[in-house]
Amino acid sequence: MDELALSVRNLSTVYDTGGSVVHAVRDVSFDLRRTERLGVVGESGSGKSALALSILGLIEPPGRVVEGEIVLGGRDISKLSDRQLGAVRGKEIALVLQDPSSALDPVKTIGSQIVEALTVHEPDLRRAAVRRRAAELLREVDISQAERRLDDYPHQYSGGMRQRVAIAIAIANNPRVLIADEPTTALDVTTQAQVLALLDRLVDEHRTAVILITHNLGIVSDFCDSVAVMYAGRFVETSGVDHIFVAPTHPYSEALLKCVPNPERLAEGPLPAISGFPPDLSQLPSGCSFAPRCPVGRDLPQCHEQAPVPHRVSGPAGEASVECHFAEQRIREVAV
Amino acid sequence: MGRVIAMRVLGSVGAVFGATVLAFMIMRVLPGNPARLILGPLATSQAVTALNHHIGLDQPLYTQYWRYISDFFQGNWGYSYSDGASVRKLIGERAPATIELALFSFVITMLAAVGLALLSTYRHRPITDRIVRGASYLGFGTPPFFLALLLLIVFFSTLHILPGPEGRLGVQAAAPAAVTRMYTIDALLAGELGTFWEALKHLILPGLALGISSFSFLVRLLRANLLEVSREPFITVARGKGLRRWTAFRRHALPNAFLPTLTAGGLVLGEFLAGSVLIERVFNWPGVGSLVFDAIVKQDYAIVQTFILLSAVMFVLVNLAVDLLYAVIDPRVRIPTVATA
Ligand SMILES: Nc1ncnc2c1ncn2[C@@H]1O[C@H](COP(=O)(O)OP(=O)(O)OP(=O)(O)O)[C@@H](O)[C@H]1O
Ligand code: SF4
Ligand SMILES: [Mg+2]
Repeated sequence: MDELALSVRNLSTVYDTGGSVVHAVRDVSFDLRRTERLGVVGESGSGKSALALSILGLIEPPGRVVEGEIVLGGRDISKLSDRQLGAVRGKEIALVLQDPSSALDPVKTIGSQIVEALTVHEPDLRRAAVRRRAAELLREVDISQAERRLDDYPHQYSGGMRQRVAIAIAIANNPRVLIADEPTTALDVTTQAQVLALLDRLVDEHRTAVILITHNLGIVSDFCDSVAVMYAGRFVETSGVDHIFVAPTHPYSEALLKCVPNPERLAEGPLPAISGFPPDLSQLPSGCSFAPRCPVGRDLPQCHEQAPVPHRVSGPAGEASVECHFAEQRIREVAV
Repeated sequence: MGRVIAMRVLGSVGAVFGATVLAFMIMRVLPGNPARLILGPLATSQAVTALNHHIGLDQPLYTQYWRYISDFFQGNWGYSYSDGASVRKLIGERAPATIELALFSFVITMLAAVGLALLSTYRHRPITDRIVRGASYLGFGTPPFFLALLLLIVFFSTLHILPGPEGRLGVQAAAPAAVTRMYTIDALLAGELGTFWEALKHLILPGLALGISSFSFLVRLLRANLLEVSREPFITVARGKGLRRWTAFRRHALPNAFLPTLTAGGLVLGEFLAGSVLIERVFNWPGVGSLVFDAIVKQDYAIVQTFILLSAVMFVLVNLAVDLLYAVIDPRVRIPTVATA
């Protein structure tokens, strides 16, 4: 059960926009076990999408992955050529994007877009067989009259149905890892719940490991096993899902949760805003990147001068890795 | 889809109607009485009244308008009063030269624009992109006839590699047997490669001069369009399925970029078919444009009027054809959105 599906080491990605270099992902490392569901939360611009694209090798210029190791099923895929990666993408690791209205090609049928996901990896499949498989996939994501609706175009589907098609495409080849970048943000609340329930069922059946990027802490508590809080391109706190709700240790995590006093209200909305501005990723401070906004370290020279390293701490609801000078001290305070 | 087509056709009929009314009105408000113009300043007022009656100028406006458009659509375009020939015959004789030039220019302009737009957007190549964007300012804001003269000075007078302003063929060359009366096509049909080559060489400079400002417009439009389409999330999704870069681009970016290209292409073709008066003049191209140029100089209104109306009708027809193609190709137009849960 401890088999690793994905292991990311020291991943860094920049956007080189002539003049300023935006450090979108900075030295991110984490492990994803088989069937684990990792939630990645962080405010807008913290590098969540850049992380997802970096793992898949889909960062486009002016972006560039500057370093890092991405071990998928025992193999480092970070040094593969685009052609070699093509055999991995969609087959071993798949992607679901946020906005279902733009994630499907408007001038191609739903069927052809699902078929394409199958035939890239198995070009010799007979046409009738692929079509049957595509219809099965549509049925699997709860679209009725699947056979007939293969020939529809995306504009004939509702937003929720399109997102299910996107999920069908992603699971078409039974990938080891599924990365879902805010898969429900663009949907209304009822549809969100349905799509999430579907995702829940499918990854369970297919034993897929999931990285779920979201703004919604409620979704994290319902859906995920573990959570990473991303701030300014780094994972500042990584832990099991219980820990973050019981004993958020990084001051940023704590601020996030403090804005949602009532756990019942978690499901309601996006990530609460905390005071101050997110840092400029092209001009990061030399110390802790949260220091200018940190209620604890704002006035401490140590925080402004020295970047914190990850500290492993053990709290009332499990272990966590926290990038803060005062991690140990803070977890003791919480634990009391 | 039937509804969409009906709407488009109706819109085109409306546009043609507008154009005819406009052309008709312009004719009415032009200074001077046409009868007086025809008969000359020395004619008696009885003669003017008689002619007015004869050509129907004493009829109510709507009767005149009705006669005017029914004549136009029946091809009764009147007579040139500078040489007495029927306008239909004059235009008919000149049309193939104009159409050949327009089509040639259209093909090279589209090929160049699409090629450059692809080159600068498929993959991130900052230097190529900068060159292409530079090229797209070529001829931007330069009057086409000035460019025509420039081309003649460079390629004819200085380099001597292309023929000068001598029309469709050199003086010694004979026109190929008339089938379409487009020389390049007729020469190929007759198997006369020498004549084909001659005709092609004569097309190059006027074709470039005619195409260049549209080329600038097209390159910029297509480049922006392709760039936008290739950044769409569905391209990322396609790549995420495992498609190679080129495959994703070809299957998903190109078809989506094709539709706006079609619209732009229609506009450009309509413009080329209608608007080469000065270019034809500069190159002594014996087309409709030259005819109209001379007619303007000689105040030969029958020709000018017919030309204006014909251009308008053709422009509308080309765009109607584009709209109809759209309705066939674009599933979002062809198939209505059905709200299904
Ligand atoms: N194509 C690009 N060119 C330049 N900078 C980019 C590009 N894409 C992303 N960035 C920068 O990288 C940083 C991280 O962006 P990213 O899209 O990963 O954020 P995110 O956490 O996914 O935000 P959101 O929650 O809004 O989706 C941002 O500062 C953004 O400005
Ligand atoms: S290191 Fe200092 S500034 Fe950074 S989070 Fe911890 S206390 Fe705040
Ligand atoms: Mg994002």
